[in-house]
Amino acid sequence: MSKEVRLTTPLKKEDIADLEVGDIVYLSGKVYTARDMAHIRIMEHLKEGRQLVEDFEGAAIFHAGPVVRKKNGEWEIIVIGPTTSMRMEPFSETLLGKLGVKAIIGKGGMGEETLKALKKYCGIYLLSPPGCAVIQANSVQKVLNVHWLDLGVPEAIWVLEVKEWGPLIVAMDSHGNSIFKEVKEKALDRISEMFKEK
Amino acid sequence: MKVIDEKILFEAASEIIKRSCIGIAPDAMELLKHAYINETNAAAKRLLETMIRNAELATEVGKPVCQSPGYPVVYATLGNDIKLETNIQKVFQKAIIELTKKGYLRPSMVHPITRKNPGDNSGIGVPDVEIEYDPNADYVDLIISFKGCGAELANTLKVLTPAQVGREGTGIKKLVLETVANARGIPCPPVAIGIGIGGQIHYAAKLSRKAVSVRKWTDINPNPELATLEKELLTKVNSLGIGPAGIGGDTTALTVKVEMTSTHTAICPVAINFHCWPARRSGIRIHSDGSFTHLL
Repeated sequence: MSKEVRLTTPLKKEDIADLEVGDIVYLSGKVYTARDMAHIRIMEHLKEGRQLVEDFEGAAIFHAGPVVRKKNGEWEIIVIGPTTSMRMEPFSETLLGKLGVKAIIGKGGMGEETLKALKKYCGIYLLSPPGCAVIQANSVQKVLNVHWLDLGVPEAIWVLEVKEWGPLIVAMDSHGNSIFKEVKEKALDRISEMFKEK
Repeated sequence: MKVIDEKILFEAASEIIKRSCIGIAPDAMELLKHAYINETNAAAKRLLETMIRNAELATEVGKPVCQSPGYPVVYATLGNDIKLETNIQKVFQKAIIELTKKGYLRPSMVHPITRKNPGDNSGIGVPDVEIEYDPNADYVDLIISFKGCGAELANTLKVLTPAQVGREGTGIKKLVLETVANARGIPCPPVAIGIGIGGQIHYAAKLSRKAVSVRKWTDINPNPELATLEKELLTKVNSLGIGPAGIGGDTTALTVKVEMTSTHTAICPVAINFHCWPARRSGIRIHSDGSFTHLL
């Protein structure tokens, strides 16, 4: 039976451990956007031993790049929604293990490396409805900060305050389950069945 | 001979770009609503409902339906009786830059190698302009299609041998289904799948993009052979159970569109091109008297 929970960042192990695939999360607090270029720069900083722009312990990372505008000197989110998470697959071990990230939010799901890291460090992957950028922007209360804007608007790290953002679906949990993996395996089985030598 | 100047073209371009961004094409909406009614998986149904609500809300409030504008392609049909005293690509780029400043498009075009983002969607060769020549056209047709790039990551291009094509194209069908299974939720299902068959790889690739960009997703292929293939593939794809956003369900694809051209006796290039559910597409016809009518 799936459950609905309300979580606030920074997230703790206790917040995550009970969640299972199919559960619904409504998230409040601070969320950091990060796409390919921000991940690459984080890795470079770590390699060079440089201080990062934020402390990601217990953080929720959102694979997203918003449409923004500046109004009276303040950034405003026009719309925001998820980007394809699979591109960030190579960075999961570092984010979850070294930086203490607890929730990755995006679309399309992630692979085996992430599933392993989620289990090892007790994290979750949350699915945000793809292409639904107007609705999701309504949960953003404020832009708290922006880092690395030199990477361009989509690739910068936007620090957002969100309230009751959801429904986000637990699509990969800390127990080694992934909706995406299950769905793909079933689909490939169906194909083998379809093309069995007649 | 009617002359179309920059002012007319800019007006037409701005209109269709804006219309594309703040909603989805009516035919895609029709299919989405149909899928919502038929979906039997509760979580999938809830996601479809959110997608429909988001697209309707976008149009209502005049905001982009999706934060990513994807990549723009303009399909232009030109005839003998119309003279363009302007450059289609330049004018569309100008309109795109202006609408980016107004918040309709996220600045997403970057240098492919340095990844430098100029911040306004200007860029080399943006948008791609595909020109078709129709000697009988006494008008100019312009269709713009913004296709998301998560979908692009799941695309496949393969040159099959005659043996791999198999009897009745079995090899092609299998390739399509395996590509869909491996794509999972990446291309933002429910997707539209454009398939280009034949030619050489560049030709198959162009056909695959065009198939989901200029045709109504609700139409029936005028070629009966391809109409049958489209129907068969759609049923098979939806039997895979990938579902909306890849979480499982009956609705994996809204439509399958196949375009075909003859090829060399040694090969069969096949391009499989995913379009995410937000169909940002709009078209306009500029008549010889300078008036506009909407297409698509």
